[in-house]
Amino acid sequence: MTKFKSHCMLLAAPLVLLAFPAHAALRVFSCEPEWGALAQELGGNLVDVSVATNALQDPHQIQAKPSLIARARSADLVVCTGAELEVGWLPVLLAQSGNAKVQEGQPGNFAAANFVRKLEVPTQLDRSQGDVHAAGNPHIQTDPRNIALVATALATRLQQVDPAHADQYAQRQADFTQRWQQAMGRWNAQAAPLRGVAVVSQHKAFVYLYDWLGLKELAVLEPKPGVEPTASHLQEVLVSLKKTPARMTIYSAYQDPKPADWLNRNAGVPAVKIPFTVGGTEGAKDLFGLFDDTISRLLAVGDKP
Amino acid sequence: MNWSALDWSILGPAFVAGLLVLVTHVPLGTQVLDRGIVFIDLAIAQIAGLGVIAADAMGLPEGGVAVQMAAVVAALLGAALLTWTERKAPQQQEALIGVMFILAACAGILLLSGNPHGGEHLKELLVGQILWVNTTQLLWLGGVSGLILLALWRGWISKLGRFGFYAVFALAVTASVQLVGVYLVFSSLIIPALATRTAQPNRRHPTAYAIGVVGYALGLALSALMDLPSGAVIVWTLAACGLLWVNIHARFTTA
Repeated sequence: MTKFKSHCMLLAAPLVLLAFPAHAALRVFSCEPEWGALAQELGGNLVDVSVATNALQDPHQIQAKPSLIARARSADLVVCTGAELEVGWLPVLLAQSGNAKVQEGQPGNFAAANFVRKLEVPTQLDRSQGDVHAAGNPHIQTDPRNIALVATALATRLQQVDPAHADQYAQRQADFTQRWQQAMGRWNAQAAPLRGVAVVSQHKAFVYLYDWLGLKELAVLEPKPGVEPTASHLQEVLVSLKKTPARMTIYSAYQDPKPADWLNRNAGVPAVKIPFTVGGTEGAKDLFGLFDDTISRLLAVGDKP
Repeated sequence: MNWSALDWSILGPAFVAGLLVLVTHVPLGTQVLDRGIVFIDLAIAQIAGLGVIAADAMGLPEGGVAVQMAAVVAALLGAALLTWTERKAPQQQEALIGVMFILAACAGILLLSGNPHGGEHLKELLVGQILWVNTTQLLWLGGVSGLILLALWRGWISKLGRFGFYAVFALAVTASVQLVGVYLVFSSLIIPALATRTAQPNRRHPTAYAIGVVGYALGLALSALMDLPSGAVIVWTLAACGLLWVNIHARFTTA
């Protein structure tokens, strides 16, 4: 019995620590790992960050856990992508939380996509085009220039919701921006051979990455997420690849590589997995690692003549 | 354990939703089990979903009443079809239900290939998540469940014969699947009924209700304490409660 008790106490000890987070810290609830990582960079020990999804989850949809509502309820700042990416669950979660501070339009609600120039904004909203996001493509985190823009806006927002520590946020932002600019210089130099390289996308999720690195998207394997591609579509892809060969097929770590593997077997185009967000691969431990790893994976295949 | 996670304001609405689902699904489940058509709920839910996609494809306005009407009409048509097949081929009813489920699911995919927007509605309809329920939804489900219970109790349904059963079933499943999802609907229907199969007829329903209520309460509490997705945990606690009851019952009746 005493043994049992001591086991229980051993098990309980870390949980007790979890139950009492530092009270002074600003509680940041982030929808995706990249914004959690950014808030951590900018806030350091001034913030207590929790992330709703992990890197291997589709951010479009998540499973409801009681802790999600609890965390949204106690959050001081919600940091998400916006641009309809979380439309399937965030509005319900925020409504359920009853937390007035973080509702849309409040300072405690930060949508990263509002602070960058969005690509693929449909010029006309036509339902026949299928799964288009009216607000443009929401996967903005694959371009480090967007990260820089969001970092500036998020630092301003942190100062606004936690004015007592405004100086520290400003300092941390200056530090982050300097390191980020340096890293971007390095990435731009490393990725120079990738300019103009022709690629195939598994999904339409990399438009910002292509815009940054100058990759050319020849085709998309699954133009409608969740809907099988038609036989004629795959045939078209194969035919167009015969005319202009592609160097690689790019897919995200959270996606099933089957379509990319199929193209590898049928057209000899190697499949390249990229982390897509912080935590997607071993190498993508933080925001810097995310782009280090993305570029080294692209170069491993794309650097060959 | 993080006991502070047991927050009634978060878990309460979900628990009420579970109770409202149980109210109708326990009596319906015993009938489904006796008829040997266990997968009928999946088929009905899928057909209701198909109705929503079709409504979207026909350009009916999104959301709210139109979507609900489309789901109910499709589910009732499915019920009529099932009544007909049961009369024509009673021995093959279960296999036909299986075929109908697959046909409805694939018809959905075919319709969606031209219009992926419907996919969002289908997901909303089939993958309801119990924690997200709000008061309006609970009131609606309460109304539907109350009506069905009244109809079952007053014997209106047996007067309508075969179609009565399938129609009531279609209404109950269409209403509940949107709030708690297909997995929980299936478990609420089958597990309590299955566990109490050998119980005395007059004790069967109370026992099945008890298993269901304990299963939901335990599942919600565990999902909060261990921070796991609620629906999936409840499915497991329902099964555990059912199994526990079967064992206790067997021991007492043999002793």
